[in-house]
Amino acid sequence: WLYLRHQKERQRRSRRLRDLRALALGQGDFELRDTSGTPRRKADFLGRWVLLYFGFTHCPDVCPEELEKLSRAVELLESDPALPPLQPLFVTVDPERDDAAALSRYLRDFHPRLLGLTGSPEQVRAAAAAFRVYVSAGPRDQDGDYVVDHSVLTFLLDPDGVFRDCYGRSRTAEEVARSVRGHMDSYETL
Amino acid sequence: AAGMAAPTMAERKACWGARDEFWQCLDSHGDDAAKCEKLRRVFESRCPQQWVKHFDKRRDFLKYKKKLETEGFHPPEAAGKS
Repeated sequence: WLYLRHQKERQRRSRRLRDLRALALGQGDFELRDTSGTPRRKADFLGRWVLLYFGFTHCPDVCPEELEKLSRAVELLESDPALPPLQPLFVTVDPERDDAAALSRYLRDFHPRLLGLTGSPEQVRAAAAAFRVYVSAGPRDQDGDYVVDHSVLTFLLDPDGVFRDCYGRSRTAEEVARSVRGHMDSYETL
Repeated sequence: AAGMAAPTMAERKACWGARDEFWQCLDSHGDDAAKCEKLRRVFESRCPQQWVKHFDKRRDFLKYKKKLETEGFHPPEAAGKS
């Protein structure tokens, strides 16, 4: 009976994985540049789990909060040597202002391995579209300043680059870490 | 890259602190902005204008949300018969 239950669980996970693949979120490749100017495509991150957040450096409150949370979740997962490597990524939705230098400065305050990615407006637009992330720059004021309205989500990709889960504002760092750990455990057995 | 650099962590925290003090003042004076002018000025001086606008909207939203939670939703009176 335990064997049957195990089989059923495997089938359920298999079905879910098929559904996620069909959703094809983040399937498109992205072509961006990291803060050292090195070109980065999605394929460069295969073999590692990825936690990916879209935001911008002029963000009033949400992005720093979500990045603190992301950093904390990564720390929690890193503290377990049995878990596979995890790469945190930050993709800007404001490529006009967030060049490599701006991203470097901004990300210094968060996890040391958090890698910032930027690019041309077209490249950034394509990356956001691949993840169906809503992006809308607001009107500029007399100083040329503006905020960018955007979906607030952290995406989890597995080592095959397949989208596995996403985490919004309401999830705590501990909840994110627990969820990622669950995905890592089930990935091995599939 | 256009314009000024993004606020640093220290600048963000100074802005949030000023915002929180202003909001605390509003909370203890029934949202009477006239009673909190000094803190309002400090808030405006510590935060980019775009952030002041953002936080003003956030406060309005939080108040509206609280109102819905405590008073319930009352659809506005129709101007005329539909």
